[in-house]
Amino acid sequence: MISRTKFIGAVEIGTSKVSVLIGELSQDRSLHIIGVGECQSRGVIKGSVADFRAASDATHTALMAAEQSAGTRIDEVYLAQTGGHLEGFYNEAAVNVSAADNMISALDIDTVCRLAKSKNLPDGRMVVHHLRRPYRLDGRIVPDPLHLVGQRLEAGYWTVHGPEAKIADNIHVIRGFNVRVAELILSSLASGAMLASPEDRQNGALVIDIGAGTTDFVLYRDGSAQMTGVVPVGGSHLTNDLSLGLRLTEGQAEKLKLRFGRGTIVTKDRAEKVWLNGDFAIGDRQFPRYSIEQVTSARIWEIFEVVKKKLGPAFSPEKTAAGVILTGGTAKLPGIDEAAAKVFGVQARLGEAPGWVAENLRDPSFSSVLGLLQYGLSSRAEAAAAPRRKAAGWVSKLFATV
Amino acid sequence: MSQLTLNPPPTRTWRDIPQTVTPRAMSREGKKRLVFAVGNIVGIVLVLGAAGWGVYELVSVWETNPTRITAAASSVPLRDVTLRTDGVLDKSWVMRTLDLPKDASLMELDLSALQNRLLATGQVQSAVVARKFPDILTVTLQERSPVARVMAQLGSAAPQAYMVSRDGAVYQGSGYDQRLADTLPFLDGVKLVRSGDGFARIDGMDQVSDLLGTARTSTPALYHTFRVVSLARFNVDSTITVKSTEVDAITFGVASDGFYRQLARLDYILDETRRQNPPQPLKAVNLAVGGSQVPVAFGAAGASDDGNNPRTTTVSKTAAPAPFGTALFSLPSRNSSPSKRDF
Repeated sequence: MISRTKFIGAVEIGTSKVSVLIGELSQDRSLHIIGVGECQSRGVIKGSVADFRAASDATHTALMAAEQSAGTRIDEVYLAQTGGHLEGFYNEAAVNVSAADNMISALDIDTVCRLAKSKNLPDGRMVVHHLRRPYRLDGRIVPDPLHLVGQRLEAGYWTVHGPEAKIADNIHVIRGFNVRVAELILSSLASGAMLASPEDRQNGALVIDIGAGTTDFVLYRDGSAQMTGVVPVGGSHLTNDLSLGLRLTEGQAEKLKLRFGRGTIVTKDRAEKVWLNGDFAIGDRQFPRYSIEQVTSARIWEIFEVVKKKLGPAFSPEKTAAGVILTGGTAKLPGIDEAAAKVFGVQARLGEAPGWVAENLRDPSFSSVLGLLQYGLSSRAEAAAAPRRKAAGWVSKLFATV
Repeated sequence: MSQLTLNPPPTRTWRDIPQTVTPRAMSREGKKRLVFAVGNIVGIVLVLGAAGWGVYELVSVWETNPTRITAAASSVPLRDVTLRTDGVLDKSWVMRTLDLPKDASLMELDLSALQNRLLATGQVQSAVVARKFPDILTVTLQERSPVARVMAQLGSAAPQAYMVSRDGAVYQGSGYDQRLADTLPFLDGVKLVRSGDGFARIDGMDQVSDLLGTARTSTPALYHTFRVVSLARFNVDSTITVKSTEVDAITFGVASDGFYRQLARLDYILDETRRQNPPQPLKAVNLAVGGSQVPVAFGAAGASDDGNNPRTTTVSKTAAPAPFGTALFSLPSRNSSPSKRDF
């Protein structure tokens, strides 16, 4: 058999930066990350493309850097999707088992799944993900009901949808580089696939990815994603708060946030001050440390509260035994896990990438883009397991690049 | 539950967004990649098209004029022709026969056509024409050897002597020593049939060749007296009739006990008749009968006799032959068999 290697680009067009990883997918389905590219993002506000040209330039720069780093060309892209425009809802359906002996057939499963996914969307919106919750057979949870005996089969889907125009904008940014988008993956699902172990998902875990412009979260229970969401607030809001509160430029505020920002207030001495630059040059000023911590922790606290509110009754500390897993660039803020633990009432920790991830990619800001590769490949493997049309050969691949 | 409920219309997903390329929405790198991809496709299409066209051209040229294919391979001019043969043909004959075009290159030559030209002469039994790179054509011939001659006329040309080989091929001999050619007996009693530009092969020449070959090696004196070999009765009673300077009709039997014994008997009979006083010229000797007695016919010395109606006279085994007519010539006993005679 001819060995065929595919080069997959994982792309996250974030509010503050564009991250690209290139994975080499071998015939034996082993994945090696062979290229990294980053670029400061432009033209993206709260996860949505606001300036197509600027966003394209930034994204393409990152793609080129990754290709140069890998020394090869990307065949297709797995693209992260985030933004406040994404919403979700839960819909479920139930069917009575059709067979006389009450044994569930593939047709029963197919029917209940189609019914559960059939809820109409508002005009101009389209589905990004259908996340199936575990089946229920006569009220009991079963991972695979095929050939089991029962009377009533239920299936439920958490459907993530968004406006077609905004989703298309993201896709067109990638198509402008003349690469096909093979998978569109919610950022929170990508981060969750990377950081939450199967045990965490089974026991219940909340993964929160706090980026610069948005905060993505996914709640796992019974081994599958129960709910996802996006809060259009992120680390850049902390910077903005500091800028407004302390009368600083964005750059100065960002610098202070990174050096002295915290998720919780630990400074007791309200008179303690910190230097802006620390070089005692002209323009270097002092700021009260307590104020900085107060501003950042208040915003972090608020973000968690919003997430908790969005989760609503779906979240309960009793059913989230694995706790809260934090990731994203803002998750590097000291004390943020303590804040999460206080807000959600469960243990909280910073997510850690698996051991196979290289040292330079273990930063929390890469968890989402790393997870794109993992989630994309696993979902494709599941799709390939189902009967489907035979994949086309090199000719279709060649024409697909046009 | 209604059919619509069981088969709800599928909801639109992000995969329904067309991923078409709009060049105006592309970055410079994207356009570069697009050009590269289009160039890639165009290149592949061109390569495939060129390959297909090449195959088509090759096939069509192969069918119409195969020499063009070889001509395209190289254009080194032919410098020399080397000849290797087991016969008498020389290089000048080969050059005349091949009639190579002037300044022809080695690869332009159609070896099959050249080989056919050589084989068409008849004198050449097999020919191998090969290229010896870079600029030499080698010709290896295996020639036929003439056994007899035959007078024939092709079209409106004057009758001339053709050579006949052991395998019955009739051809115009070339390069033979005239003295040697003159010693070959003429062939008679055969009907030449046109075949292509020449004649069809003659049956029975292998037997004639055996007879003449045995005579030439065993009794050269006798062989040199042979003038005409007739196959007129070959297909009737398997006999070959030879007219020599001494005997008008010597009949050899193909099915008899070998030409060597028959020639030995003939030699004995001729010796015996020469010893008679006065010598009795032999008109006919029939060696095809075999056994210890040979029918012979005598003619009058100096008398004109066509040998067709000889007077027959029966003589005893030991009696001297009568002056005129036929007789059974008794051969000596087995101990002094003519077959063991020292020629």
